[in-house]
Amino acid sequence: MNNSLDKIRVIDRSLLNEEDYFQSLLSEALGKGIINDTDIERLQLECLNLLAEKTNRYNLGVSSSIRVENAQSIMASNMFTIGAALKHCPTPDDAVTTLQSQSINEIYKKGRKRIDLLLLKAKAIQNGLQKRLFPTKNEFYNLTINGAIEGFFKLYNPDFAAHEIHITDGYPAFNPVPRLAGVEFITEYIGALFYENQFCGYFSPESVHRLLSGYNGDYEHLLFNIYEPVLTSAIGCIITGADVYRLDIAKSGAKHLERLLAEMQGSEILKVLRQSAEELARCLECPPSLANYIRNSLPIIANRIETAAQARTLNSVFAVPVLPENAPDITFSFGVKMDNEKYRNVIEEIRQCRLLEDKLAIIKEFIRSLADLEDVLLDADFTAEEMQAVFSLLNMQELAAFLKKHPKQPYLDTADLREPEQFLRQNLHNFISKLPSNQQEIIANFLHRIV
Amino acid sequence: MGFELISFTSGLIEGQAVSEVIKCNVYTERFGLRLTQAQAAELVETRSLSLRDNGRIEFGGGVIDKIIKAFCDSPFISAYDYAETLHELIEIFYIYKNETHDLIGDDDLIKFMKTSFDGVCQGSLDLLSGRELYRLAKNLRFGRGGYMDGLLKGQTFSAFDTTGSANFSEDDDADGDSSEENDEEEFYE
Repeated sequence: MNNSLDKIRVIDRSLLNEEDYFQSLLSEALGKGIINDTDIERLQLECLNLLAEKTNRYNLGVSSSIRVENAQSIMASNMFTIGAALKHCPTPDDAVTTLQSQSINEIYKKGRKRIDLLLLKAKAIQNGLQKRLFPTKNEFYNLTINGAIEGFFKLYNPDFAAHEIHITDGYPAFNPVPRLAGVEFITEYIGALFYENQFCGYFSPESVHRLLSGYNGDYEHLLFNIYEPVLTSAIGCIITGADVYRLDIAKSGAKHLERLLAEMQGSEILKVLRQSAEELARCLECPPSLANYIRNSLPIIANRIETAAQARTLNSVFAVPVLPENAPDITFSFGVKMDNEKYRNVIEEIRQCRLLEDKLAIIKEFIRSLADLEDVLLDADFTAEEMQAVFSLLNMQELAAFLKKHPKQPYLDTADLREPEQFLRQNLHNFISKLPSNQQEIIANFLHRIV
Repeated sequence: MGFELISFTSGLIEGQAVSEVIKCNVYTERFGLRLTQAQAAELVETRSLSLRDNGRIEFGGGVIDKIIKAFCDSPFISAYDYAETLHELIEIFYIYKNETHDLIGDDDLIKFMKTSFDGVCQGSLDLLSGRELYRLAKNLRFGRGGYMDGLLKGQTFSAFDTTGSANFSEDDDADGDSSEENDEEEFYE
């Protein structure tokens, strides 16, 4: 029996909005009858006086008026700062008592001190993160930690825009960051990145590079969370008995996981993951805070495994490492072009043909190199259907070679090309996109290896 | 609790502003200028409308009393058009607070308006608004300096006229780009 006495709380903390804490607290307190209209009027007047004071400082004392949008921003900043002080009270009821017993100016000053402390904390975490930054080629990871977060500290203005975040679409943290504003959000966000970076740091950069290359060959340029495949693979290694530090579950391990997890319900998967994660934390000797972060990640991973198992795509969750650097390079030659006079005759003959079969027959008979075929595609005035028929004569390697020479590019980059070349590219990309997915994968594989 | 709290105290602020405007009569009576209670209330109303139209809010007494004290000794203001001129000056003031992107303080802007009004504009509010302040705003937005140097010494010349004499021949069209560019070049030579 629990003998401890707990004070009855009138306001439920979970009902309050963490982003607009002050406003939601007032509205709850008014609804529960803890404060009355007189209190609200006093608070409004004090907020107005605080706004007037801050506006004067914003204008450096030389202007008595201000644009409405700037005033609104300063007001939102003031509210956020007051909310930061009130959140520090033990309970929402205590926060309301504080509002009743202290002036808005006093509470604002406390909130300002709290923001300064949070800013120092965030900077300390950021320094730790940068010092032990996990070496990865993923550009969003490096750009966000070295660029965007640094940019936040440069732009953040706790006096007039304490509620601003400045980072809008940076690298995503795996565990959801609570809906917060200003420095409160950044502290949580950097904290999440710190744990994820710390976890990745247990593995060698080469192992992670191989794993992420298996996850996606273009992982360097993708905006995705690198902690997720690393943690998932490490747990997979624990389940299959593979070496955790190598992050290599191998194809046989992946098949074993597919068989094991395919029939399980979400709760069963989570149970397996929890057991494995505890073993993983012991094996890696993770500190308790990191182990706790890993525990919080498990429900999301379990959910993804369950969805993938239902769709029979577990291979996309448990990636098998590959080393793209070891794949042999392919040097592809477009061959020697035929004599100009002979080429003119071939083109003339193709143009005079009425039937597609005749045109294809001429190509099969006279064209002996991809360089000539490319010229024919550009010069013979083919229709889209005819061009697709010509492409169907080519094998996967030849299509990959064509794709290498005529890559998919944004419209603006191809706007300067000749019209026949644009037409060739458009039809080539259309043709490849209509091929079965396994053939497209083969072409993509060749494409990466052609130098 | 949003921004509607601004309207909560607007009545109180306006009441204070009217009494501050009336207090200015003590200073302006020596120039033969005086505002009635009704005229003062109308000026405060004009201020509120101008603020609303220009998307601004103001705390404290505002700038009406500053404008009155700055312009009351102007030779181009008489008792019969005193209140009307003040209405227009208040409107112009808030328009150019926005147009100058708040890069100039209240006192400096009023000083520039007064000097131009008594100087090159010769009491014309149209010239003040359409030419002198337009150019001031343009110079401020483009980060060009030097426009206040003469004013702070009490000289009365146009923002682009280095000779000190008013030159209306090419400057009547405030939007005329070609003449403006020439003027600007002369100014910086």
